[in-house]
Order: sequence, then structure tokens, then C-alpha cells
Amino acid sequence: MNWQFFLEVLVGGLLAGVMYSLVALGFVLIYKASGVFNFAQGAMVFLAALTFVSLLERGVNFWLAIAIALAVMVVLGIAIERLVLRPLVNQPQITLFMATIGLSFVLEGLSQLVWGSQPHGLEIGIPDVPMQWLADTLGINVSQFDVFAAVVAGILVAALAVFFQTTRIGRALRAVADDHQAALAVGIPLRQIWAIVWTVAGFVALVAGIMWGARNGVQYALTFIALKALPVLILGGFESVAGAIVGGLIVGASEKLAEVYLGPYVGGGLESWFPYVLALAFLLVRPEGLFGEKRIERV
Amino acid sequence: MLYREAGQFKTTYAGDQQVFPIRQDRIGVAVVLVVAFVVVPLIGNQYWLSAILTPFLIFALATLGLNILTGYAGQLSLGTAAFMAVGAFMAFNFELRAPWMPILVSFALAGLCAAAVGVAFGLPSLRIKGFYLAVATLACQFFVLWALQRIGWFTNHSASGVITAQKVVILGYAFDTPATKYMLTLGIVTVLAVLAKNMLRSETGRKFMAVRDMDLAAEVIGIRMMQTKLLAFAISSFYCGVAGALYAFTYLGTVEPEAFTLDLSFRILFMVIVGGVGSILGSFLGAAFITLLPIFLNTMAHPIEELLGVTLPAGLMSNLELIVFGALIIFFLIVEPHGLARLWQIGKEKLRLWPFPH
Amino acid sequence: MRDRVILHDNIDAMEADFSGMTFATEAQVDEFYDEADRRMEATGKRWYFLVIYTDCVVVPEVWDRFAARGKNTNIKYGLGTVRVGTSAGTRDTIRQRAQRDMFRANIYESRDSAILALGEMRKRHETLGATAGAPAAGSEGIVRVDDIHLNFGGVKAIAGVGFGVNRGEISSIIGPNGAGKSSMLNVISGFYRPSRGRIYFEGRDRTHLAAHDVARLGFARTFQNIALFKGMSTLDNIMTGRSLKIKGNFLTDALYWGFAQKEETAQRQHVEKIIDFLEIQAIRKTPVGKLPYGLQKRVELARALAMEPKVLLLDEPMAGMNVEEKEDMVRFILDVNDQWGTTIILIEHDMGVVMDISHYVVVMDHGGKIAEGTPGEVKADPVVIRAYLGAH
Repeated sequence: MNWQFFLEVLVGGLLAGVMYSLVALGFVLIYKASGVFNFAQGAMVFLAALTFVSLLERGVNFWLAIAIALAVMVVLGIAIERLVLRPLVNQPQITLFMATIGLSFVLEGLSQLVWGSQPHGLEIGIPDVPMQWLADTLGINVSQFDVFAAVVAGILVAALAVFFQTTRIGRALRAVADDHQAALAVGIPLRQIWAIVWTVAGFVALVAGIMWGARNGVQYALTFIALKALPVLILGGFESVAGAIVGGLIVGASEKLAEVYLGPYVGGGLESWFPYVLALAFLLVRPEGLFGEKRIERV
Repeated sequence: MLYREAGQFKTTYAGDQQVFPIRQDRIGVAVVLVVAFVVVPLIGNQYWLSAILTPFLIFALATLGLNILTGYAGQLSLGTAAFMAVGAFMAFNFELRAPWMPILVSFALAGLCAAAVGVAFGLPSLRIKGFYLAVATLACQFFVLWALQRIGWFTNHSASGVITAQKVVILGYAFDTPATKYMLTLGIVTVLAVLAKNMLRSETGRKFMAVRDMDLAAEVIGIRMMQTKLLAFAISSFYCGVAGALYAFTYLGTVEPEAFTLDLSFRILFMVIVGGVGSILGSFLGAAFITLLPIFLNTMAHPIEELLGVTLPAGLMSNLELIVFGALIIFFLIVEPHGLARLWQIGKEKLRLWPFPH
Repeated sequence: MRDRVILHDNIDAMEADFSGMTFATEAQVDEFYDEADRRMEATGKRWYFLVIYTDCVVVPEVWDRFAARGKNTNIKYGLGTVRVGTSAGTRDTIRQRAQRDMFRANIYESRDSAILALGEMRKRHETLGATAGAPAAGSEGIVRVDDIHLNFGGVKAIAGVGFGVNRGEISSIIGPNGAGKSSMLNVISGFYRPSRGRIYFEGRDRTHLAAHDVARLGFARTFQNIALFKGMSTLDNIMTGRSLKIKGNFLTDALYWGFAQKEETAQRQHVEKIIDFLEIQAIRKTPVGKLPYGLQKRVELARALAMEPKVLLLDEPMAGMNVEEKEDMVRFILDVNDQWGTTIILIEHDMGVVMDISHYVVVMDHGGKIAEGTPGEVKADPVVIRAYLGAH
């Protein structure tokens, strides 16, 4: 077996997995803090990326565009809290999940309504070329861009982990995720917390959107990336930031490897379903994921 | 005043267990059936029959199928379109490879194949619940679609991947006009709806609802979880499979994977939510609503354009559709989680008292 | 010895008057039991035993012989035993032996209360129509749990508890909060698998049966936090209780008219009887989620009764009820036990109710069994008093 090729595929897969993790992070954040499984995360990534790229195309400065896009996500977060979450407080999880499905449709339609439906290319200055010294020393091709994305994700994850563990707001977020009513009872300002969480998730969505947009172009298909994040979450557990990373790596690597090594036997196209079937198999063995918490049902 | 139960006593349990215990309801249903079976085919125009009523019936059937699984048995599924696809492709294959078989039998067998797939992908439901199960059904959706596309046998190794559905011929009579296709669909959907209603108001339905409401208590009563859940998947997938076959044979005219994407699964789920979870009437109402909505929006486009004196961009309507769909879902979940069916019920109750306020 | 064995024909009871006797040798034990056996053999029928232990002394060396002969006689001629023994030492010995050898001590303060208890036992056996026989004499019982241990991770919910429940009796499990009572009920109903120990039903081991198979055997239960199907009406909820009895499958259901309709009507008739019995006619079509708490509990009881159970497990059926509702519930429970002879195992905190209606009481604390016996015995037991009221 050609080890260099294997390594290339593996590393490529791992790095692609990091990109999935970026999206999954947004899910984890919201789930951790509000117990809501936000199906609209993909649409948020799309909206953030589309806003950003459209501003760039209209000649707005790079950093200003980021600031504006972030502001849009903040407003969005507050609006979502007010219009969707607040009326549905204490409804069963399933109801909230379906509401976020509706939300995703609204955001997708809105994004394209405002900014148009053509695909956009996105350049952020990092070329998608193999890293020279790796190619020279180990003979494998690893994209510079992928490495950059991995670094960005790493920084983001570290920052979030610190945020959750050490700050007061982080603790409050964890309390809210556990039990809305109990959190209210101890005086945690639920609404503000949620608005904050959805804003942070919006920021993560923006970063993910920029990364993905630069890689694949900003287009409607971006929303489907969110679907790929689901197996990531199942593998890693819905509530774990570390799980999102590990899950993403596993999904990315296994997807690429399966496509390359098993694909030829079955005519290709494995990527469309392999991570899901993997997640399904995992669910049967360990439903709470690698890093998730076991839930015990009391009678 | 008109809608009163006074004077209508039930003296037998059988009478009490009727589907429509109130006489006015029975008259209402009879009227609807007469209109559907007799009036519409006579006066309906081509467009309405082929582009609105037939797909409405097909979606209503699929919604009914999903409602059985998600509404009555409480197992969330995002793989509805995949089951429909199995139904469509298998019906095509049965017709192709066993042309001597009556087409209705092909449809039924296709439904059974969909049921088998449903049971296979329903096995995880024995261990996982809620949206974990939804993700499992996503696996089903993607895998089935991939399999139907890649494995040549399903498409009879067609080069383009798009196959034409065979003509529907029963006992020598060809169902190839919009009116006849409509009648065929109406007939099949009516029969299946009646069967579903019967199942759901007897022990089968109670078992499903017990598992939905509190599966642990259901076990203690002696209800076998595994069999009940898998039966729900089987029946639901059968209905979706037949709907898929009808979709291909009486509406689209082609059998192609692109018609059965995740988008369709979501659409049917929306019909369930809007129409009313756990309600047969709701399935029809929801299907009607979602089917008619794009048409409504499109017809609104013209007056708005004239009113504002602008020509609206082409993509606007489809985006608006998305927004309205999503907003509707959220609206219904907030305001009336039990959907149009509940609104209908509330309306009826107010009607019982009309014209008195209470 | 003759005058020590008195046969009361009118109440089918053999009175064994040990009062004031001393059993120092095995020969003395045999002399007594031979006489009793001979007398009962001559009548050719079975007898209830009324044993008077007042001031009776049995030397420790002959206790085994004494117990073995007693068991033997019980198996051959016995229908049920009540004992009268006022000396604390004797009481304790008998209780210890009862715990170890798994039989009912059934000790009463006076001869009169013992005879009363005997009368109730007779009545119960008559309702059941069975001769009951030796197993019902207290050594086996319809349900028996043996050395049950239950662990949740590191938490020991039940540590080595065993007891037996007689057919047709109301037995209560009481104890402070967190004692493990609900867990015990969950074990008996097949919800939890014990980490160690066995469960016997009608003499057969059923430890490893799953919940729905346990239901099939004839167990029904209610839950502490009502487990009704909130999406269905009262009538439908109770109909689900007929799941094991109703015939047909989804195909016959789909072709409703004919077989399924007949079944529905037949089951409906049965359910209506229960609705009448529990006086809930007015709410039969109401969705149970809308009912007040007390009525919900009644509906849950109805659903359990619809299963025609042999053993009914009730987990705090009177919790959260006012006085009237409690009285109603007590009346229903007693009626169920009286009319249908259903064995009932009850967890309840209301001491008055427990003492009034139970035939037998098991007291648990911190996962273990600290006492058992008739209500009178348990009420007076210092260990029980201490557990409930604390060290003082």
C-alpha cells in the first residue's frame, strides 16, 4: 500500500473534519446553553458567509465587513430569542427542534432574498496549494488552506473552552442548559443568557462560514454542511466542545478514507451517507457519544 | 343551531364507537365524498386535476403515512422521501419485470418493499429516541437514495438515470387522462385512509399512542415495544411507498431519484405539523395547505406587481415560499401545536353552540 | 396430651395449647405432634392452626426438631397458622425463625385477636374458592422475593431484602423516604433486574423476565408519579389495559367491521364494568391530561384493574389526596381485594390506612428490611418506631 498516499488522504480527511467541527461547535454551544438542537445552524453559517462576502464585493473593508456581519448575527440572535425561543419556553425538545427546522427555512429564504442567489467566490488570502516543505520532506500534499483552517479552529475551541469553564457567564450557561426553570429560580437572567449564546454561536457560524466559503464558494449548498455536522455531534456527544473536534476528525477522516478505498467497489458517492451510517452504528452502541453524558430515565 | 347533537343518543357501544357519531358530520362527509368522486371529475379542468388535486392526494397519503409513524407512534422520521422512492422504483421494476401482474398488485408489493426498508431502518428506534432517531432516519434517506442511483438494477441500467413510468392499465382500461388519473389516485387514497382510520381507532392505534406517550408504562401493561414500533414503521412506510408509486405513475410520469430528496421529506413533515400531529383529517388539511400555498403566492405575485408597478425578480417567489413555510412552521408550533385539525375541532365546538355564545 | 390438642369443628381450627409447657427433649416434642397428627388424620380434613405459646419454654437444643415437626404437620394437615405468644423472648425467637425459614410469624397479642385473624383468613380463602393448601400457609406465598440486591452504579438501593406475600392478602411495604420501597416494587414488577437475588411467582422463578412478560403472568401496577397516556381519553387509557386480553392484529383492525368491532365492543363492556366500579362514568371521554390529580390516580387504578391481575402493585395510591379521596380509594382497594380476591402489594405513607387494611406489613429502611409482621406486631416493634421517629 502506498503509505504516502494514505497519509495524504488521512491528513486531508482530518483537516476536512476540522471544518466540520467548526460548524458542529455552533450546535454544541447552543445545545449546551439552551438545550435546543439548532437545526438552523447551517442556515446561520450560510447567512453569515453570504453577508460577509456580499459586503466584500461591494468594496467594504475586510475587517469592517467582519464587524458588520457579526453585528447582523447579534441582531439575529436577539431576534431569534425573542420571536422563536421565548414563546416556546419549556416546550418539549422535539418541538424546539422542529421550530429550528422552520427557522432554517426562513433564514435561507431571507439570505437569498436580500443578497441574491448566485454563488460567490471568497478569497481570504490563503491559497489552496500544498505546503511546500511538507511536500519536500515527506512527499505528501497537504493544503495550506486546510492547515490554516485547523489552526483557526484550534484557537476558537481553546477560547470557547476557557470561556465556559472559567467565566461567570460560562457557568450560567451551563446551568441554563441543565434546567431552564432552576436557572430562573436562582436568578440567572435567562433571556440575556440566550441572546448571548446565540450571538456567540453566530460568531462561530461566521468563522465557519468564511472558512467554508473560501474553500467551496458561498452558495446554497453551504446549508447542507450543517447536515454533515449531525454525525459529528452524535459521535462526539451533543454537549462537548472536545467532542465536536474529535467527532469532526473522525467523520472527516473516515469519510475520505471510505470514499477513496471503498468507493471504487461500489461506484463512488459514499460521502453522501457514510458518516450517517457510521453515526447510526455508533448510536446503537453508545447513544450518548464519546464525550456525552449518560441520561438515566427515572420512573 | 344547525350543528346540534341534541336528540342523537347512542344505545350501543358500537354506535358510540362510530367514526362520525354526529349525524351532521356524517352528512358532511357524504357530501365531500360525492363532490370528490362525482362532481370534480365532471367539472374540473385539466390544470386543477393534474397539477393540484392529484399531487394533493398523493401528498396527503404520504403525510398520513408519516403521521402514523410520527404523530401516532411518536417516532420522528426524516426519511419519508426515501420510503416513497423505494415505492416508486419497486413499482417500476415490478411492472417492468413482471408485466403480467396487475398494476395495483405492483403498487401493493412496492408498498411492502418500502415497509421492509422501513422496518430495517426502524430497528434503531428500539434503542434510540427523539432527534437521535431523526438522525438515524437521515441515514436512511441518504443511503437509500444513493443505492437507488448507484445500483443499476433499480434503474434498469438506464443511461440517463431518468426513467419513464409505465402506463397505468387496469383490466384493459387505460388511466392516462388527468381525470382518470385523479380518480385512480382518489380511489386508492380513500381506501387506504379508511383502513388507516380503522387501525388507529382500535387496539393498533392505542398501542401506538401508548408507546408515544409513555413507552415504559406501555411495557408494564404488556405491550411489546419492539413489535409495536416496528409495526408502526412498517405500516407508515407502506403508505409512503404507495404514495411514492402514485407520485411517479400518476403525477410525474417519471421515476427519478431527484424527486425524492431530503427537501421532500421536510415538506411532508411540515404537512404533518401544520395539519396536526396525530390526526387523519390533519394529514389532509396539512397537505392541502402546503400544496396550495405556492400556488397562492404565485397568484398573488401578479396583483402585487401591478399594484406596485414593479416586476418582481424571478427568484423572489421561491425565496418567499421558503420564508413563509418556515414562518408558518414556527407560527403553528407556537400558537397551535396541534395544527389545523385542532383549529377545525375548535371551530366545530363553537359551531355546536352557535348562535349562542356559551 | 389429649387436652392440649383441641379441635374446634365450627371454625375448622386445631388449637395447640402449649401454654405453660416445657419441651426439653425431642421425645416430648414427638409425643405432642404424634397426638396432633393422629387426631387430625382421623378427621380426614385440613385444619387451621391456633397455637398458644404463653409461658411455653422450648429448650434451644430441641428447637430444630420442634420446627421441623411443626412444618411437617403443616404440610400434611394445615390451612394457615396464627400464634398467640406474650413472652417477649418467645416472640423474638419465633420471628427470627420465621425470617430465616421464610414463614409467617402471625403472632397476636391475645387468643381473641388470633381467632379474629383466623376468621379473616377463612373468608379470604373462601373468596378465592381454592383450598389454598399448605403453600398458602405462609411458607411460599403467591409472590416471594429472596435476598434481593439492587445497585445503581455505586448506590445500593436494596441490600438483601426478602419476604413473601400470601395469595388474596393486602401486604404493605412501609418505611421512611428513600428506604427503597419504590425500587422494591419496581423489582417485583420486572422494571429493574436485581443485581442479586430471586423472585418467585406461584412457586416458579421469574427473576429474569422482562416487564411485558411479567405483565403477562398477571402483575399490574400503578405508579407514584402517574403514568397515564396523556394524549388519550380515560376510556382509551383503560382500554389499553385490555391489551393482553384483546384478540386480533393490525389487519383485522384495518378491516374493522366484523371481528375487530366485536372484540372492541366486548372489551368495552368489560371496561365499562370497571368504570362503574370506580365511579368514573362522567369522565370517560375526557383526555386524562385535563383531569385533576385524584381522578387521574383513579383512572390509573382502573387501567391496572382492566388487566385482570392476580397481583396488584400500588405505589402510593393515596399520595396527594384529600380525606374524601383517600376514603374512596381505600374503599376501592378493599372492594378489589374482597370481591375478586386480588393479592395487593401496597406502598403507602399514611400509617392509619396501612394499619387498617393490611394483613401483613414489611418495613424497609436504607435499602434493608428492618421488620415484618402483622400490623399489630409492626406497630409495637421498637426498631420500627426508632426508624420513623429517630433515635429518641
